[in-house]
Amino acid sequence: MNAESPSDAVRSTGAKEKISIRNLSFYYDQSKALKGINLPLYERQVTAFIGPSGCGKSTLLRILNRIYELYPKQRAEGEVMMDGENILTSKEPVDSLRSKIGMVFQKPTPFPMSIYDNIAFGIRLYEKLPGSEMNDRVESALRRAALWDEVKDKLHTSGQGLSGGQQQRLCIARTVAVKPEVILLDEPCSALDPISTARIEELIDELKTDYTIAIVTHNMQQAARCTNYAAFMFLGELIEFDTTEKLFTSPSQPKTQEYITGRFG
Amino acid sequence: MSLSETLAATGQTRPRVSARPIGDRVLHALTFGSAILVLVVLGGVFVSLVEGSLPALQAFGLKFLVDETWNPATEVFGAAAPIYGTLLTSAIALIIAVPVGLGISIFLTELCPAWAARPIAIAIELLAGIPSIIYGIWGLFVLAPFLQRTFQPFVIGVFHHVPLLNKLFAGPPYGIGVFTAAIILAIMILPFISSVTRDVFETVPHVLKEATYGLGCTTWEVIRRVVIPHTRAGVIGAIMLALGRALGETMAVTFVIGNAHKIAASILAPGTTISATIANEFTEATGDLYTSSLIALGLILFVVTFIVLAAARFMLHRMEQQGK
Amino acid sequence: MASSAITIRRRFRSKVFMGLSIAAAGLGLLMLAIILGTLIYKGVAGINLAVFTEMTPPPGSEGGLLNAIFGSVVMTIIAIVIGTPISILAGTYLAEYGRYRRLAHIVRFINDILLSAPSIVVGLFVYEILVTTLGHFSGIAGAIALSILVIPIVVRTTEDMLRLVPDTLREAAASVGTPRWRMIVSIAYRAASTGITTGVLLAVARISGETAPLLFTALNNQFWSSDLNQPLASLPVVIFQFALSPYEDWQQLAWTGALLITLSVLILSIFARMITARKAQR
Repeated sequence: MNAESPSDAVRSTGAKEKISIRNLSFYYDQSKALKGINLPLYERQVTAFIGPSGCGKSTLLRILNRIYELYPKQRAEGEVMMDGENILTSKEPVDSLRSKIGMVFQKPTPFPMSIYDNIAFGIRLYEKLPGSEMNDRVESALRRAALWDEVKDKLHTSGQGLSGGQQQRLCIARTVAVKPEVILLDEPCSALDPISTARIEELIDELKTDYTIAIVTHNMQQAARCTNYAAFMFLGELIEFDTTEKLFTSPSQPKTQEYITGRFG
Repeated sequence: MSLSETLAATGQTRPRVSARPIGDRVLHALTFGSAILVLVVLGGVFVSLVEGSLPALQAFGLKFLVDETWNPATEVFGAAAPIYGTLLTSAIALIIAVPVGLGISIFLTELCPAWAARPIAIAIELLAGIPSIIYGIWGLFVLAPFLQRTFQPFVIGVFHHVPLLNKLFAGPPYGIGVFTAAIILAIMILPFISSVTRDVFETVPHVLKEATYGLGCTTWEVIRRVVIPHTRAGVIGAIMLALGRALGETMAVTFVIGNAHKIAASILAPGTTISATIANEFTEATGDLYTSSLIALGLILFVVTFIVLAAARFMLHRMEQQGK
Repeated sequence: MASSAITIRRRFRSKVFMGLSIAAAGLGLLMLAIILGTLIYKGVAGINLAVFTEMTPPPGSEGGLLNAIFGSVVMTIIAIVIGTPISILAGTYLAEYGRYRRLAHIVRFINDILLSAPSIVVGLFVYEILVTTLGHFSGIAGAIALSILVIPIVVRTTEDMLRLVPDTLREAAASVGTPRWRMIVSIAYRAASTGITTGVLLAVARISGETAPLLFTALNNQFWSSDLNQPLASLPVVIFQFALSPYEDWQQLAWTGALLITLSVLILSIFARMITARKAQR
């Protein structure tokens, strides 16, 4: 089933589509995991992908930065348009493409290096910066991720020595350090305690002033709290797409209604 | 501002990366080349052995495999005695080592208290780390005299009047010989059997064992009825791995086997194995046919161990697949 | 419930087998104790400064093992220097670029076979390609034979250690735009470094005691030599020669040499375990 056309309330804000997903299908070997998805991701807005386990929301997210290409027998068909180009077939090398679309994963994965190097690593891939400028970039990334005060005295200790919530914020800092245009979050809080979760949700709210964000989440309250748009998926299809407010208060599809009210999931 | 906007504002463009980064092409080529090298080495070993054996194989044909003659003077060589010795020592070594090795791994997985299991396991693995030449000199100076003084006279005496067995255990008690070599081999392959079967035993799901205990089975019954059937392919694989090792073992055997190119009825008599023959005679070998015969022995050993090890791997692999 | 005769018999049988398995473990430990004990007892008797300062003597005179120790150390180092880079690269192929490809299966299979293959056969191979072609035995031929033994060990451990690096870490690197090669070099290698080092140490331990491949490659050398293009002495080959001789002072040197080799192997193994344990703690 195709997406509902965005409601009039959305159109009138004139929001620009940063990423347009058109007729996207995805295959694990022979089995079709995503069926003809059509979906916009609006610029500087937070879009949630929600749905029960196995509905394909993580699969969809992982297409956007082509991370599925690391594995054999997985392929995508269709279009994912960003800045007028289909990133699935772009001539641009996938590595530099991925530096424009950052991703934060469910499990915090700091690199086996110091906190400073964790951040600097990505920057050094594409830019040659003198020491002082690098220091500034690292600091500003850590500030953005609300981690600076906690680590400023131990920048050269291992990133793996931090707590779970701090590690996740380190991963966010690492992602924003390379100045992406889009940030993808794959259930970023599910491995964290409630306090760390709350801090990261605050972060998401701040980050959206500069970045287009897509977040996969199991937690409907979280979706309701920090997102602007929501896409409800079920069994590999997009059932409904709308502003978060509308989708949660008066969804137009019965399946959406059932999920929201907890009939299944 | 995003990076591209910043760069655009200052008039720079994002650094262009080539379609597939040079670094990737280089590393891929290096790693691929190294992997191929591994194959080349094995192929090279095989080819060079075949090449070196050709003179002998052409001169003697298949008779080489069954001829017991080994005469450097008349330049007639036959592999029967070394082949027999290799197979016999390995077989006896397995007969001794398999029950003991299984016993050790049963002990470590079922009976041993947790705090003692690791140190004991490490100690057993130390046996595997001891170089084979150490086993060799220990065998020659300690085990052989000991057997000569105690075990061998005893066994010879006991079976003296028993038909058949008195041929198998005939004297005189040299101390060194096929049986002594087999004992040393057994001690050497013990840790392999024990550690591989231990790994394999530990893959048995706890719930399966608990359910069986719950039915009232004794420890032995659980092992016999659940653990071993579940891990059968793995245990066989471990045994074949140990066999592969035993077949190729050189230094330990060379010291204690007595180096006699004969097939004797008694397992207490001296004999020889393929690797012992090569080790002892290669540097002294004069004449191309002599050297070539020794290389032909090497080829036989290589082919046999290859088959055994391939079978072992196959069995262990199947065990892994079963578990999935 | 009263124990029936069957139950008593079953329990008895179980006790017997369990007793046997305890005996097996005891036997294994006993063997270890006897062998190490004899080795220490006999080897220590010959330990003196001369062992480390003088060359191997002709029979009937005093001497040491210096040239043999030197030869062993040199050949081991060269073998590691040659073998390790090739092995790490091959292991990287198996774990990274080639992980899902057919060729990797074949290489893994062949590698495992080489791992347990008779080392004397490797000696024959190197003899054929180096000694006959160059016309003489040499230390470098010995080193190359040893390097062929190093390769399967380090390939296996490198692949295993790289496989242990979680895929999420690779994805995280990819998601900031890291090219594959950079991810391998800067992230995967760093994460697996302890394990790979352990693998190299274990390879060193393994080749320190190898005799057979040296017998007809490096041969032996009674005198001091640092010329790799000539026969080179090594501890294992010297032990082989001296132990089988009828001379008591030679036999004593053989025991002492055996003790030295065993000690270094044990120390390397313990060291390797310690590194792994410390990494696990962090």
